[in-house]
Amino acid sequence: MGYIVLAIGVLTTCVLALSMDWLSFWPALLTILGCLIYLALRSQGPHRSWDELKRLQDAYDQLDRQAKLVIRTDLELHRAQEELDRRLASLLSLHHFSQQVQVSLRPDEVFRKVDASVVTNFGMLNGLAGLCRSLDAVEWQSLVGISPPVAEQIKQHLMQTGLLKEILTNPAPRVLHAGDASHPAVPRLLELLSVHSVVVAGIMPHTGPAGCLLLGRGGSSISAKADEDLVAILVNQLGTAVENSSLYEEAWAAKRELERKVQERTKELADANAQLLRLNKAKSDFVSAVSHELRTPLAAIKGYASLLGSGQFGPLADAQKERIQKIEKHTDLLTQFITNLLDIAKIEAGRTTMEIRPIPVGEFFATVEELVHPQLQAKQIRYAVELDGVQELIGDAQHLRRVFMNLLSNAIKYTPEGGTIRVAVRRQGELVEATVTDTGHGIGPDDLPKLFQEFYRANDPVNREIRGTGLGLALVKRIVEAHHGHIVVASEKGKGSTFTVTLPAA
Amino acid sequence: MPEPLLASIGWSAKPEAARAGKEAAEAAMARLGSAKPSCALVFASSWFDQAALVYGARSVLGQVPLAGGSTAGEITPEGPSTHSCVVLVLSSPSIACSLGMAQGVDTAPREAGQQAAYAALQGCKVIPRAGFLLFGDGLLTNYLDVARGIQEVLGTGSLIVGGMTGDDLRYQRTYQYANDQVVSRAVAGILFAGHVKIGAGIEHGFAPISKPRRITKARAHVLYELDRQPAASVYEEYFGPDEVRRMRDEGLARQAVAYPLGIQLGGADQWLLRNVVSLGIDGSLTCSGELLEDTWLQLMIGSRELAIEAAAKAAAHAIRTLNQVSCVIVFDSVSRRRLLGPRAALTELAAIREAVGPATPLAGCYTYGEQAPMGLSAGVPQTVTQTGSVLVVALGT
Repeated sequence: MGYIVLAIGVLTTCVLALSMDWLSFWPALLTILGCLIYLALRSQGPHRSWDELKRLQDAYDQLDRQAKLVIRTDLELHRAQEELDRRLASLLSLHHFSQQVQVSLRPDEVFRKVDASVVTNFGMLNGLAGLCRSLDAVEWQSLVGISPPVAEQIKQHLMQTGLLKEILTNPAPRVLHAGDASHPAVPRLLELLSVHSVVVAGIMPHTGPAGCLLLGRGGSSISAKADEDLVAILVNQLGTAVENSSLYEEAWAAKRELERKVQERTKELADANAQLLRLNKAKSDFVSAVSHELRTPLAAIKGYASLLGSGQFGPLADAQKERIQKIEKHTDLLTQFITNLLDIAKIEAGRTTMEIRPIPVGEFFATVEELVHPQLQAKQIRYAVELDGVQELIGDAQHLRRVFMNLLSNAIKYTPEGGTIRVAVRRQGELVEATVTDTGHGIGPDDLPKLFQEFYRANDPVNREIRGTGLGLALVKRIVEAHHGHIVVASEKGKGSTFTVTLPAA
Repeated sequence: MPEPLLASIGWSAKPEAARAGKEAAEAAMARLGSAKPSCALVFASSWFDQAALVYGARSVLGQVPLAGGSTAGEITPEGPSTHSCVVLVLSSPSIACSLGMAQGVDTAPREAGQQAAYAALQGCKVIPRAGFLLFGDGLLTNYLDVARGIQEVLGTGSLIVGGMTGDDLRYQRTYQYANDQVVSRAVAGILFAGHVKIGAGIEHGFAPISKPRRITKARAHVLYELDRQPAASVYEEYFGPDEVRRMRDEGLARQAVAYPLGIQLGGADQWLLRNVVSLGIDGSLTCSGELLEDTWLQLMIGSRELAIEAAAKAAAHAIRTLNQVSCVIVFDSVSRRRLLGPRAALTELAAIREAVGPATPLAGCYTYGEQAPMGLSAGVPQTVTQTGSVLVVALGT
């Protein structure tokens, strides 16, 4: 630039010099030339600055180009980071969700766990989850970002267009876009959801109600496949939770039903028991009343028979004596039977008072032995009593005597001649145990459980020969139980029996 | 002795709008105990039926002045939330709260601002006036004039801060609440007076990355040309054709919110941010706030660390002038939430909480813009719409 100015200046000076008087204008021309040279030299400065500016501009542009690269890289990183965040949030949400639904006890409760946090963490804008009792009916259980009126519109739309049926028959999660031609109902659905695309999925558990899930998606930049994969996990969890809750619900219902039935049966049993108690009391009262009424005439029969037998009304023929003796014997048996019946009735009705006091054991069993001695002798039965150092029994001596008299009488009855009867008494902690063991015919296993029932007699050929009322052991049991004790029997056919009476020691 | 300012927060995520509003208000009132509420602020998801939501909240709050708006995400004391309703109730017999609301911001913004401020003043004769907490429509971009209008009525002594309502990134319609009214293209706010102080801090944490470009053609919030080239083509240079095509296809510039435009004002660190909301077919960029021709503009880039630092700085600045902080309201830009992601968004709130004290009630929302004086820390009084920023407003004594 400077050289061009200098060239123009030199040419101009030459033209001026040639056209004018050289000597008069020379100093002026020299001055002009000097100035031009100076200007030419000065013009090199801006030229250098311009270069520097150019270089700066280039560097600046270069930096800007680098900035573009940085932005694009950052954009990619940002997108990746966003996707990573979303994945992480989704996975955390899935983890949290699985914990939540595990404790859900009803299918509707399971669906309600699809809340705002699940929808947001999945990167979705809104969502609906509902129970489907059939292929064309849905009941929304969870609404996120959808008002109930809009949810109702969506429900009607899904049902009327058959889209619901399609979702349930093809339950795998899939993304539906506005341009999706798979179903004509999609654009309206997206419009109702106010989104550009939606993930739909059916929930089809093996047991329990089906369901459907709709999640309105955010930006289209997010991978549809990734969304489908994540929603597939969510749907699986929902399905499993629905199954579990259904099974729980069934088990719970069954338990409730069982409890109800048990309560019903218990009440029925309690009612029946109360009825039985009432009947038993009525029976006892009846027996008691009848027995009392019978005892008086029996006493009269016995008295008159004795009078007749004594010969006060004239001598009797042998046949007459024999008949009167039979009357007396049967009257005694009947009196004994009635006494036993009365005693049982009294004990059952709680009208018997037990006079509980210490009983010297040796003396007690000696008295009992005296009473049964004639029968023992008659059948030549060996009789032994082992007291094992036990000094005392606690109880009503009169009633306990009847217990052991009954047991020994039975033992004598059923023990063949020359047999053995052994009474053993021993202390068992706070209890006294007395056993009466015979070497008799024994009792069959079928008869053992019923032995202490009233009027029960073992179905045995031996029993048919031996007379009995079937009340003796029943009375024994009641007396023992009235002493807060218990009686058991062990027996084997042909080997004899052992009756064990356990009574409190103090 | 003036009574202290009490604040309590309730929130609900019930899907039924009326129930959500009612439940959130009930929770806030329950926490307030027997104290009488002075005013209520409501932040709610745009997915709700807005009228039903406000009705639900008012059924509990009664005739208490109520202001608020729809959001791009809510902030509860437990962290960021969506599809929920948050109610903040303030109570003190020593303060006066008066609601002001005006519609028609899109046609006469300055008049709307004046009208809202006049309405608030009518109901508030108490002095001193601490400030006006406003909610503006996040889809409108002329709130500079609205703020001017408010300031003309209230004077420069009153702080004007607030947030621009959102609609969960759908960019269709946002709502402002004023007592039992739900409106759009409006300004609603509460004028605080009496024994109350308002502190505010606003920061963004973004830094310029591109070379400066001169705005050679812009009208209101639409940017047509940068360096005499179509603005979209310049934008494409940085983001690449694929990304720009995606933005056009979506109709939204979701990804772009992480890279706002920065306009340098005043000092070297004074950046007014603008989000690109959408790309026009004519190559224009629609932005989230006003743009002035012949100003220089740069593309900004942020990082999570810087964003969290900025939040802590804003919180510290907000409480600086308060003796006792009663509550903190956070207006956080939705672009920051986008930048931060779910975990870092939680960290950001934790940073704010750490700065203001763990026991301080904290609520707020994610916004489409933040209203605060530009260069708050530098003392420049003019309230402008900013984006990409976190505005922390502290109320106390």
